[in-house]
Amino acid sequence: MSTLARIIGLMRPLRGRMALGLALSVAASLANFGLLFLSGWLLAAAAVAGLSGIAARNAFNLFLPAVGVRFFATMRILARYLERLVTHDATLRLIGRVRAWSFERLAPQAPAVLARQRSGDMLFRFVADTDRMGQFYLEVLLPIASAAICCVVFVTVTGVFSLSAAVVLAVGLVVCGGVLPSVAGALSAHGMRRISHQQDVMHADLTEVLQGMGEFMFLGAARTVQARIADRDADIRNERRRVALIEGGARSAMTVIAMMSAAGVLVMADMAYGAGALSAACLPMLALGGLAAFDVLIPLPAAWQLLWQVRVAAGRVFALCDTPPCVPAPARPGSPRAPFDLSLSGVGLRYPGATHWALRHADLSVAQGAHVALVGPSGAGKSTLVNLLFRFHDYQEGQVRFGGVDLRDVDADVMARHIGVVAQDFHLFQGSIRRNLTIACPTATEEAMWQALQVAQLHAFVQSEPAGLDTLIGEGGMRLSGGQARRLAVAQVVLRSPDWIILDEPTEGLDARTERDLMDALLQALPLRTTIICITHNPAVAARMGRVVRVEGGRFHEAGRT
Amino acid sequence: MNGVKVVMDYPGNRALIGFTRRIGLWLGAAVVLGGAAAVMLVLQLAVLARIVSDLAFHNHAISDERAGLTLLLALLAGRALLQWAADMVANEGSLRLTAAIRGELLRHLFNVGPVGLTGQATGHMVTVMGDGIAALEPYFAQYVPRAAMMVVLPLLVLGMVAHLDAWSFVILACTGPLIPVFMALVGYRAQAIMDRQWTQLLLLGSAFLDTLQGLTTLRLFGRARDAVAAVAGMADEYRATTMSVMKVAFLTSAVLEFFASLSIALVAVVFGARLLDGKADFQSAFMVLLLAPEYFMPLRAFSASYHARQNATAAMAGISQLFALPETATRHATRDSAAGAPLVAIRCEDVTAGYQADAPVLSHAGCTFRRNALTVITGESGVGKTTLIRLLLGLLQPMQGHVTAVDECGMPHARWQDRVGWVPQQPRLIHGTVAENLRLADPMADMDTLRAVAAQADALSFIEALPQGFDTPVGERGACLSGGQVQRLALARVLLRNPQVLILDEPTASLDLQSEQRVAAAIARAAVGRIGIVVAHRPAMIAQAAQVVRLRDGRLFSGPSTVECAA
Repeated sequence: MSTLARIIGLMRPLRGRMALGLALSVAASLANFGLLFLSGWLLAAAAVAGLSGIAARNAFNLFLPAVGVRFFATMRILARYLERLVTHDATLRLIGRVRAWSFERLAPQAPAVLARQRSGDMLFRFVADTDRMGQFYLEVLLPIASAAICCVVFVTVTGVFSLSAAVVLAVGLVVCGGVLPSVAGALSAHGMRRISHQQDVMHADLTEVLQGMGEFMFLGAARTVQARIADRDADIRNERRRVALIEGGARSAMTVIAMMSAAGVLVMADMAYGAGALSAACLPMLALGGLAAFDVLIPLPAAWQLLWQVRVAAGRVFALCDTPPCVPAPARPGSPRAPFDLSLSGVGLRYPGATHWALRHADLSVAQGAHVALVGPSGAGKSTLVNLLFRFHDYQEGQVRFGGVDLRDVDADVMARHIGVVAQDFHLFQGSIRRNLTIACPTATEEAMWQALQVAQLHAFVQSEPAGLDTLIGEGGMRLSGGQARRLAVAQVVLRSPDWIILDEPTEGLDARTERDLMDALLQALPLRTTIICITHNPAVAARMGRVVRVEGGRFHEAGRT
Repeated sequence: MNGVKVVMDYPGNRALIGFTRRIGLWLGAAVVLGGAAAVMLVLQLAVLARIVSDLAFHNHAISDERAGLTLLLALLAGRALLQWAADMVANEGSLRLTAAIRGELLRHLFNVGPVGLTGQATGHMVTVMGDGIAALEPYFAQYVPRAAMMVVLPLLVLGMVAHLDAWSFVILACTGPLIPVFMALVGYRAQAIMDRQWTQLLLLGSAFLDTLQGLTTLRLFGRARDAVAAVAGMADEYRATTMSVMKVAFLTSAVLEFFASLSIALVAVVFGARLLDGKADFQSAFMVLLLAPEYFMPLRAFSASYHARQNATAAMAGISQLFALPETATRHATRDSAAGAPLVAIRCEDVTAGYQADAPVLSHAGCTFRRNALTVITGESGVGKTTLIRLLLGLLQPMQGHVTAVDECGMPHARWQDRVGWVPQQPRLIHGTVAENLRLADPMADMDTLRAVAAQADALSFIEALPQGFDTPVGERGACLSGGQVQRLALARVLLRNPQVLILDEPTASLDLQSEQRVAAAIARAAVGRIGIVVAHRPAMIAQAAQVVRLRDGRLFSGPSTVECAA
């Protein structure tokens, strides 16, 4: 239950809107009840008056109940429309809050938390989960609370006319809205859990099969693995069939109980009529009211079911957000001072869960202004340097000093002020080129942007686009070629004019000429004080740097100065 | 966001209708059962109206109505059972159909083949096949039957009302058809507003995911803290934009509410006046009042399941996109790999290949791979080793030149690729036992055969050391095997097919020295009597080679121990 309590905690600032939404929802349901209740009475009372001769007919005032009927009809329409607006607005606000809150919690954990979940699917799921949490109010809390309030009113109104009829109605409503859904929920909960588990298994199997497709084809096993997936699917289907049987049964049982309760109300009312406690006109009114009362219970089975899903989704989101960052923020934050020299001595870094060391007994010193190429086989630990410097992962051994400060005392945001990185797996944000440059450097002027683009050899392309800096680059920079995207990432970092620049394969995807031009422009444009670390496979690029360091076996080896 | 998804239309609708036809019988049965339930409902309301009228106006005691109440119960039970059956039948049809679609899609993806699927993220494909296809279920199980019921029940109610009262018939017959008209009018208006804000909605809708994906980049820029505010801001902007669409879109349901409420009020007031004048009888009036909400009920249920259609059309876009991938792999994996005269050599002659015509990865490359002469291919990463392997596997066709295989008599073979055994860089184990993994290659293989191939691949000793031997579960969720053990297991598996050509992609790339040597030795042994081709960098594997081929600048160069190689 504590997960739900935490969602409710997130809803706190929205409680005014949410209460208004609930009030409107109750008003709409009550208007619906009132419309049928009053209509039933109107017909019966008119008929009674019509049958009792001219005097009674003239005494009967049709005007007032007719106004009431119209009032309830109008109220139903207005309240329902306003309810939709208010509750959806509150829901969207809640989703926004959940997202901002979870993002705030997640941000200090990147990229470790992203690396731990192997598939990029995790992010999709995370987004879907936050949405589901946002629906808690609209699709769970609202229908349940609204139904509870309305039911109390229905029973009270019925009780004014006949206490025994009210008791019958109350029993029917409780069975229909409380007992039946919870029994059905308990019966299907096991099945739902199994379905969810089997779906995870099938997803894992599908991943296996799709990733190993070529191999399975050459093993002649294509049919076999497809049949395995089909078997999993059949298991899920059996379970779903059982759950659907329970749910369909519960729905049918609800209609039976609703009608039986209405009949029960009628029988009780007839007894009161027989005893002279009620007028004839009340019989149709109470019967119709009894039927109409059950309308508020219609969304409940779905709400109970979603409650379960919300709990699972929220559990996942909270679990991820509650993970402590793998490098705690420094207790006494220091700030590096010029000259920004780096020295690593005897550094050992092992990623969580890994058996081997990414860096071990590693020594390296780089003075500010140096141009260093890092070369070596893939997986040797070249990119670990970035993770180390930005405190994305902690090092277990040795000492690192940057700008005269122990790295353990430096916050990642402070490092970002001094070091600019073009990562190999850089991300471009959807929107325009301008937006991406602004994200990198919010204070940049238009002129500075064009300069940075020029250094990155991208200005010709941007100039040729009709929208210029406002050219949209699509999701993840999809509308740019691989080389253009990388050059935009270079421009972002150049714009930040940091003291250090780390380039991870800056020329990948470029042809030889652009590559040469880019390196020329970079070396020319960057001030002499700027340190350049260039991680590269490309000998031509490495040759442009003053010093080449080979990374192998978790250590740095001096490979020569040019 | 289920509750707040905006109305949109995709060409996916047509594909959905096509699928719907395939379960026409199931859906037809569901509609017939649902129609029967509707008849029961109308009869049931008629009985209730009579009971109420008898009790209130004909001085009947409740004991006189025992027959009526029994009939009411019977109709109620009948209706509930019929509706239950209708739901189950629609559900069954939808389950069968989605399972069939999933199977067909997977088969199609196999026909597209691994090269054709390059650039498709596995995670995305899995999501489409899992959640995407699951999103179609409510469409078939709820939306389609409800769409049919939207015609059946109102007509039934209308027929009944026509029989009871002309005035009410006119009211219902006039308001009923107006609803869809007005809903459509409002719907178009909402659509127009949305079209105008479409780009913005799309952008803001995926902004959160985009920001999450770029979290590392934001931290590198030192902008993660600012991004928290940006996330909140974008969510708020999204809300404002969505609500401006919703304000109009919700009018569609308001139209429905309006007509439903109006006609009930009209029926009550119009009947009330006539009852007062004694020109109408109560039983008919009450019956019409009971029927009026049911007249609008299917329309409400239908609009409630409108999300099912939206979700399904959105999912269908992803599904259609995968179905539209061209089928490139023409291989029909056959199991008779050992049949026919043994192959002695594979020749690449003047081969140019790649993925874009203007930027071939291999150009005019030539080489011969011979039986009993293990060839090791080396080269820097990215020079085209994968392309060469794909060419040899027949997954990629050369743009120019030929890759041919000849047997002992010098005869070229057309379908020699059926005789290739391939172990990729990261062999995949399925979630199952060691034996199940091996039997993927030959489901009929007995234990002796499994032992024999395992021994050949130097895998027998570690398999027998596992807690349950060949019955130990392995794979991602099973026992942890080391990289070298997985390689040897994969080698054993491929040997089970007794291939005449053995191709291994970087089998020793991520192994420590000791397992590297074991794997290299096992490969050298397994390659005897076969055409063996291995991509490798490390000395242990190269030491086992009879021929070393270097790949550079799109060409193949012979190494010192070359038998025959041409650049």
